[in-house]
Amino acid sequence: MATAVATAPLAGHEAVAARYLEVDPVYAETRSIRLLGFVFFLLSDCVLFGAFIFAYVYLRISAPTWPPFVGNHRLPWFDTAFAALNSIVLFGSGVTMHFALENWKHLNRQKFYRWLIATIILGLGFLLGQAHEWTGVLRGGVTWPGSTMGASFFTLTGMHGFHVFVGVCYLTVLGLQARRGIYTGSKYFGLTAGTLYWHFVDVIWVVLFTLFYVW
Amino acid sequence: MEAGTTAPHVGHDPHDHIHPPPEGFIRKYVFSLDHKVIAFQYFITGLLFMLIAGSFAELIRLQLWEPNGAIMSHNAYDTMFTIHGTAMVWLVVIPLVTGALGNFVMPLQIGARDVAFPWLNMLSFWILPVAGLTLFSTFLAGGAHAGWTEYPPISLADGTAGALWCAAIFLVGISSTITGLNFMVTIIKMRAPGMTWTRMPLFIWASFATAFMNMFATVALSSALFALFLEHVFNVPFFDANRGGSAVLYEHMFWFYSHPAVYIFILPAFGVISEILPVFARKPIFGYKMIAFSSLAIAILSFAVWAHHMFPSGISPWLQLTFMIITYAIGVPTGIKVFSWIATLWAGRIHFTTAMLYAMGFLITFTFGGITGIFLASVPADFHEHGTYFVVAHFHYVVAGGALMGFLAAIPYWYPKATGRLMSERMGRWSFWLFFIGFNATFFPMHWLGLEGMPRRYASYVAFATGNPDAVFWNQFETVFSFLMVVSIGLLAWNMIWSIRHGKPAGINPWGARTLEWTISSPPPYYNFRKIPIVYDRPYDFDKPLPYRNLDNDIDAYPEPSPVLLRQEPVRAGA
Amino acid sequence: MAQTTAPQPQQIGPKGMGPGFWPYTIALTVLNVIFALLILFAPLDFIMPGWSHPVTDRAADIDGLFKFMSVFGFAIFCYVAGYVAYFAIVFRRRPGEPAGTIGVVVHDAPKLEFWWTVIPSVLLVILTGLSIVVWYKIQFGTGAPALTMEVIGHQFYFEYRYPGLKGSVYSQTDAMHLPIGKPVRILITSADVIHQFWAPEIRLKAAAVPGLVQNLNFTPTAPGTFDVACSEYCGVDHSVMQGKLVIESADKFEKWLAAQKQRAAAGAHPIPLARGNAASGKALFAQKCSACHAIAPFDKKIVGPGLAKLTDDPQHPTLVTGKSPTRDHIAEILENGYTGPIGAMPNRQANGLSDQNIADLVAYLVSLK
Repeated sequence: MATAVATAPLAGHEAVAARYLEVDPVYAETRSIRLLGFVFFLLSDCVLFGAFIFAYVYLRISAPTWPPFVGNHRLPWFDTAFAALNSIVLFGSGVTMHFALENWKHLNRQKFYRWLIATIILGLGFLLGQAHEWTGVLRGGVTWPGSTMGASFFTLTGMHGFHVFVGVCYLTVLGLQARRGIYTGSKYFGLTAGTLYWHFVDVIWVVLFTLFYVW
Repeated sequence: MEAGTTAPHVGHDPHDHIHPPPEGFIRKYVFSLDHKVIAFQYFITGLLFMLIAGSFAELIRLQLWEPNGAIMSHNAYDTMFTIHGTAMVWLVVIPLVTGALGNFVMPLQIGARDVAFPWLNMLSFWILPVAGLTLFSTFLAGGAHAGWTEYPPISLADGTAGALWCAAIFLVGISSTITGLNFMVTIIKMRAPGMTWTRMPLFIWASFATAFMNMFATVALSSALFALFLEHVFNVPFFDANRGGSAVLYEHMFWFYSHPAVYIFILPAFGVISEILPVFARKPIFGYKMIAFSSLAIAILSFAVWAHHMFPSGISPWLQLTFMIITYAIGVPTGIKVFSWIATLWAGRIHFTTAMLYAMGFLITFTFGGITGIFLASVPADFHEHGTYFVVAHFHYVVAGGALMGFLAAIPYWYPKATGRLMSERMGRWSFWLFFIGFNATFFPMHWLGLEGMPRRYASYVAFATGNPDAVFWNQFETVFSFLMVVSIGLLAWNMIWSIRHGKPAGINPWGARTLEWTISSPPPYYNFRKIPIVYDRPYDFDKPLPYRNLDNDIDAYPEPSPVLLRQEPVRAGA
Repeated sequence: MAQTTAPQPQQIGPKGMGPGFWPYTIALTVLNVIFALLILFAPLDFIMPGWSHPVTDRAADIDGLFKFMSVFGFAIFCYVAGYVAYFAIVFRRRPGEPAGTIGVVVHDAPKLEFWWTVIPSVLLVILTGLSIVVWYKIQFGTGAPALTMEVIGHQFYFEYRYPGLKGSVYSQTDAMHLPIGKPVRILITSADVIHQFWAPEIRLKAAAVPGLVQNLNFTPTAPGTFDVACSEYCGVDHSVMQGKLVIESADKFEKWLAAQKQRAAAGAHPIPLARGNAASGKALFAQKCSACHAIAPFDKKIVGPGLAKLTDDPQHPTLVTGKSPTRDHIAEILENGYTGPIGAMPNRQANGLSDQNIADLVAYLVSLK
């Protein structure tokens, strides 16, 4: 019965993974469980955004004009140029996070820290950009309680910004944990989860950017 | 057996690793990580909330004794039905069927030592009492009045109480989502070796479908309530028509969760029935695959039927048509299940234990509730029935006659596994018949009261009673019989307490059942399985030896019901 | 595997489907046929005494659909419950049977499963078809309306508006009137929260949603006076939010409408304000109004504002409606109720005020200085 473990030759990555996994089967099993749990968490988080995106689309489609009027004043469109610039910052942070994880896998600690810090800085940069964006939108007369446009915009980008903020804190904690030697070359689930989370935040932003600035 | 080839290796395996038992009262019973203790915590909390929500139900029935309202003001009545509905849905039924039943049975049935994330499991339980206290604290803020659906704009008039209501149910939503996620991962990743998808017990299929809905739909509920909360507290105009919002939007967001929620209630009950019927009919479940896949079909379709709650609420005619058709489609898998259960009874050797009585009662009441569902799914008929007592009757047949009845069937079946003592069959039979008669007499007349013109959520029904003089009689009839259910639940509670001291020892497998939880001692050890069993086949083939290897205990190859249960030796209360 | 040497348990099964299975099935079928004939050909109030007669063409359509659904639904329930009871009796375990006996081992029966999937599906397709026919008639089947009127939900009354009466003080009538034989369109909306307009006899309802106008279309066919009820929870007095629907011949309806128009055109207030009695008004105020209003300055609110200086308050020169505090304008609030930023007040129907009551209250309120 013990022969059920595959003996066929494995290629490339799989061989490396199998070598690590054989070292510690308890870790291998808990890793796959935690990974699935984390993916499900991200999927359920998608539903949270999905519900508010549905609300936004519903309100926008059923509105007689968009942007809507508040009193006699027609609200302005959002500023696409700046948001595009800010998006590039966020997507850039996705790229740097990718490099950070790859460097960890290849045991380049120093490069990992550099890329991670770059990611954190870009994330903070995006948040600053969002703060600037919000003040601009507010100055244009779009407020949170004032209109459905403001309600959808501030709720959704606020939720997203909160996710980015949590992500920045999360990545910082991961960096400190890595420094304390919690992760090794074969056991780094926390870093994988952090990277997944950060990419998730990117993907959500793609959707939000399209809905608010392109549509 | 061809299954032998798929059995995985044993030895040098994470499965050999057992954690030491927890020590100290707090670790063992309060902040326990053990799924069985958490299940008991859910059970007790759920029953306490049921006591409160159930007494509100009786106050509602007493109020309707007279057309003018017998005992309380309209204002008080509105808070009663609001909190009755809210608490029953979110603090009673969902915690009981997923939290208590799912937590206790699911890991045992898949041969796991615990759920995937025990710490999250503990967290999702402890959110529940906090949510409950938040919900009941609405009374201190003037009470929530808008019904369990909490439609704006009327719910916005409740002010602080409404905001607290949102916060409470938001918390329950978080708890429920975490449980769903936890159960999904557990079922996907932690089944015993050899337990392929099509060898899983049907309760696990049902739990899996439930967990799927819990994980995805509940977040939508949390979003709806978050938006409503923002409107309460920060005046954000999602639902305010004066500022471009839409009250119908809330209904969409709310029902996108709350229709799957109905299946979150009922699917675990389906699973319970699929377990109990074969055991007490002493024959394999009929149509295993059809029952299993229909659970999944229901779970998926349930996401596409929500707007049938909103036919007269202001959605486009074409949406009405679409949702009517999908709703009719969901009737087909449900029908397949019911027919398969009846075929399971055919040519069985039926043992009338308490659990079996409840299961057969379930078949009748649930089928009736399902059929009235077909009436409500038809758009034109719904234009008449919507918002009346017909709807009240329908969903009580489905939720109380379906989900709760399934849960009541599960209590005498699995409670002995948890305590090691059998419950009294005699008291059990009494509590079944009291419940069955009380339930039907309470809710059956509501069908015609509704059709004749009695709207729901009426604190008084003077105008209706003037036109229909027998309305008063039927309302009083319902009130009287509703107390039979109180007696029944009281008897059940007493039976549970009584059995811990006086019940006969249950032994490992009192029912002659074949799923994995009946191969370990009662109550199960904290680690459940010392050796992780290996599974070779489905647990329903009564003509074949048990399909397990590597069991902790020496089990008969063909399990038989314990002699104390057979008719010639009736178990008497106090005997 | 556990001990495989144990003897296999004995299967006990019936001959054929079981004793008396086919006669029982025939009995169930006969019962279904009788029920079907009864429900299809007897009027529904024969089975359900409180069932009201349909008074519109659409109501009759819905009743027809309901009858078909009852036939199908009863049949399915009858077989399910019937077989559960039958199997429970016939296949019960007999006393003295060895503990190990088991039932007949059957895992599936593809043919049977095929049929019990197909037959209910076909029934559901038929029901869907019938529902679509009636749905189509409800949504698109009524010709150009001869009368379009509006129903506006308020906390806690329905306001009915007819063409030519719109916007005047008198737009609100005591009861809703509809003519027999003319296609009507009812537009439904709400001034405050969600309500639902429903008269059981017309079998149709539509939610009155703020910011949204829904419509119901049908042709009334039978005369009578019926209750209108709100069937969506709308606040504390939801259960007394009742109205009246009068369906009458086209002639009578025209006369009624003409009289309403005349009243509106005349512009004279029918309430004899000059004949109000302040003393009776004071007693009435204590009884009907004091729960929400204090005799105190405006800001001393209970639910509504204080009314001590109603006609003479420099801080609040106008009424909450924005109109000057004349007797007529005070009477208007008492008549129509009020919904707005200050709160909500029920109208005269909800408060149960007669013309004389209003006159008395106005006299009392004006006398406060």
